[in-house]
Amino acid sequence: MSAVERDRAGDRPGRRGWLGFQPNEWLLACAILVVLVGASVADVNHTYWMNPRLSALDIARQTAFLGIFALGAAVVIIAGGIDLSAGSMIAFSGTMCATFLVLLAPEVMRNPHELIDGKLVARPLGAAVITLAVSGTILIGFLVGTLHTWLITAVGLPPFIATLATLVGLRSLSRAVCESVTQSVFQAKSTQIQIFDPTFRYLATSVWIPMLIFVVLAVAIGVLLRRTVVGRHLYALGGNEQAARLSGIHTSSVKWLAYSLGAVTSAVAGILYIGDQSVADPQTLGRGYELNAIAAAVVGGCSLQGGIGTVSGTFLGALFLRCVIDGIAKIIKTGADIYEGQIVGVVVVIAVAFSQWRTAAGRGRQAFPGVMGGVAVVTLGLLAAVLAMLMTEQIARFVPGAQSLDPRGTGVAFGLIVAIGLAGWKFAQETRR
Amino acid sequence: MHAISIRGVTKRFPGVVALDDVSLDIERGELHSICGENGAGKSTLMKVLSGVLTEFEGQLWVGGRLARFRGTRDAESAGISIIHQELNLVDQLSVAANVFLGREPTRFGMLAERRMEDATRELLAELECGFDARCRAGELRVGDQQLIEIAKAVSLRSDILIMDEPTSALTEAEVERLVRVIERLRGRGVTILYISHKMDEVFRLSDRITVLRDGRWVATKRRSETSPREITHLMVGRDIESASESGRTLGDVVLEVRGLSLPWPGHARGWRLRDIGFQLRRGEILGIAGLMGAGRTELLECLFGAGPEPPRGQILLNDRTVRFRHPSEARRAGIAMVTEDRKRLGLFPRMTVGENITICNLREAARATVLSRRREASMARDTVDRLAVRTPSIGAPITALSGGNQQKCLIGRWLLTKPQVLLLDDPTRGVDVGAKAELYRLMDQLCRERIGILLTSSELPELLTVCDRILVLSEGRMTAEFARGEATEQAIMEAATRGAGPT
Repeated sequence: MSAVERDRAGDRPGRRGWLGFQPNEWLLACAILVVLVGASVADVNHTYWMNPRLSALDIARQTAFLGIFALGAAVVIIAGGIDLSAGSMIAFSGTMCATFLVLLAPEVMRNPHELIDGKLVARPLGAAVITLAVSGTILIGFLVGTLHTWLITAVGLPPFIATLATLVGLRSLSRAVCESVTQSVFQAKSTQIQIFDPTFRYLATSVWIPMLIFVVLAVAIGVLLRRTVVGRHLYALGGNEQAARLSGIHTSSVKWLAYSLGAVTSAVAGILYIGDQSVADPQTLGRGYELNAIAAAVVGGCSLQGGIGTVSGTFLGALFLRCVIDGIAKIIKTGADIYEGQIVGVVVVIAVAFSQWRTAAGRGRQAFPGVMGGVAVVTLGLLAAVLAMLMTEQIARFVPGAQSLDPRGTGVAFGLIVAIGLAGWKFAQETRR
Repeated sequence: MHAISIRGVTKRFPGVVALDDVSLDIERGELHSICGENGAGKSTLMKVLSGVLTEFEGQLWVGGRLARFRGTRDAESAGISIIHQELNLVDQLSVAANVFLGREPTRFGMLAERRMEDATRELLAELECGFDARCRAGELRVGDQQLIEIAKAVSLRSDILIMDEPTSALTEAEVERLVRVIERLRGRGVTILYISHKMDEVFRLSDRITVLRDGRWVATKRRSETSPREITHLMVGRDIESASESGRTLGDVVLEVRGLSLPWPGHARGWRLRDIGFQLRRGEILGIAGLMGAGRTELLECLFGAGPEPPRGQILLNDRTVRFRHPSEARRAGIAMVTEDRKRLGLFPRMTVGENITICNLREAARATVLSRRREASMARDTVDRLAVRTPSIGAPITALSGGNQQKCLIGRWLLTKPQVLLLDDPTRGVDVGAKAELYRLMDQLCRERIGILLTSSELPELLTVCDRILVLSEGRMTAEFARGEATEQAIMEAATRGAGPT
């Protein structure tokens, strides 16, 4: 090999592909396009086509919300850990932010509106109060991250257990704090705290501010991961913790950074969510979001074994998830949120299975081996039948001219097609061996 | 009739021909050694024979019948068992459960524990094992774990046994026991295929020796008609010069250890290390010999601040007392350590060659913590050039390199920190003959650059050729010290097995 060739290879130690994106990231970008085109065709109003600006802004905003805490999840996963507490941390930070607002400006929070010229107008909280509440909440994020690190490095709990404890604990704590603070300040126990302040709500209801926050965080974390010493140490820690320690890397400090970033990004998302929803409701806020964050990171190419992952991949993962969810919501007009969990589940399985399939180890593997494979074919067929039935029901309701579709018949037919197709695949693979 | 006939076997992996038209006959009842450098195709051939790799070109005849294995089960039922270099045991299960794993005897649909244990005990007695069938496999030492695998093969009534570098993790005493077991198996007419780097073992045990190089068959020789020198020559394709120590001069004492002890709470012995004291001079290679468990690795870890707890006693670096609580402190003070288990403790498998080399020294490539790609790349490239690491580029994944080149990268990683003392924990383990010679030359060169080297090795001949002095540890105590020339294998073994006596 000539010196020139080696020089060129040497300048890119990070194994980046074309335009700085890796091949699987290009595939993900294509998948996003396919989803968008598919949804704009299947949608009876063709919303994406008729109103591209509004649709784009809406998806961008939702992606920013998810992306912010998915970045934190990605950093933790790259460092070889896992943070299950993101959803509860969002609830906790939202509640704490609202609590700070209540404690700092009890009068405004108790009577949030006033009459000016005969019109009911929201009373402003003031910049100082909001700044204090927001910084306090971010500080709490840092403290929770520190708690996680302490539990993991000093107490010696596995990350799964430590963050499972806070997943359960923080939500319950949020509710208790919410009730206690409303009782003592408003003299009326409540399970949520309303927020009407216009500035605060503007933070999240505007499109540009959440996006700006996301972009700033993404760039900062991207530079941290790819261009700094501590970023390299994060990858080293995730790749081989023992070797990292024996190379003189302070592994506990690096973990502290990872889990703090995980909790702080969730705290930022929590603040935005309560602004967006104009209420801090610890029971529903961010419920199950930890899995969306992990899903975005994993779909974006982070390895749960640690040591692999990028900011750009995580961004595309989050964008992909939001596009799929949003696309379904466009096709089914009401109650699409019921399907969110199913979609995230299916998307994660397909995306990760696909990336496994591309590796040499995954290619030779049988898809449906033995009796278990047979039962799996039946299971997938049943699942397809149920999903098709539910979907046809929705489509029959909203798509003109589709009323005559029989949900049960379609479901059974679709299920049969899927089962027969998969059984054929199983048979083909078995005869080939 | 041959036990195994290999006819024109070729195995291709993407980008590599691992086996190229290999033909070979193994006679019934013989011990046939397969030699070759890393990457010569030994392990691939064994995987073909044992049904791990099922797709290849060519033919395989076992016991006079054409064999088409679809998996290891097929190979086992044809009477072929393999003992892999990396053992396949479930640490959490008992010895008996491991021996019968996957073919557990049952009674009324329930596990027949008693029957498994009795059968296992019988096997263990036959193999001179000093442990019980009910022990958990994970609690045993490597040498004993290997005997579990052999017991498994014996219980399968295999008449062909493949052993892939069986002694790489064994102490001398365990090797002796293994040799006795092998002799006993051969007495029953078992055919053994033996893969090893170690010439002394190969020449002690084999009837015939086959050499592979770059995936091709090179030669098959009767032991009586060849010599270790010839075999090594055939393996490498060139002669290997031994490391030259002449003309090296010793400098001042750079590292001194006084009364170093490491407690071992909850253990009958009470100490992992007891009252260790020695001096290391600049430009000196000091060897540490000892059986596995004698405390070699623990000693190096204490000096590097990597132990689970701080040791007692004094460590002086350049006459100043030092006390390291973390490897980073040792690194800053000028001590470097290349760890024993490359894969587990050294490499970052997901990173490139360059990233693996610079990981300890990133701050030098960074301004205000932001890395300069250019400076990092030049650091890595200098190291690759200096140590003659054979790699397509510094951007190649580290896992694409051979064991010897990976080891060079790890040594290079630490040389970048400009150490005064280099701790090398069994650096040539799993490294082929050619690369070993290069590592010896490198050590010699580092000594001339005034670095003091502390070296451990599981191979005594290596210590005898490379070291200026050799310390011997036995059960955590220093039992002897030899200067170059005084030391013989026998004297070292005697000191290494000498009981520590009452505390």
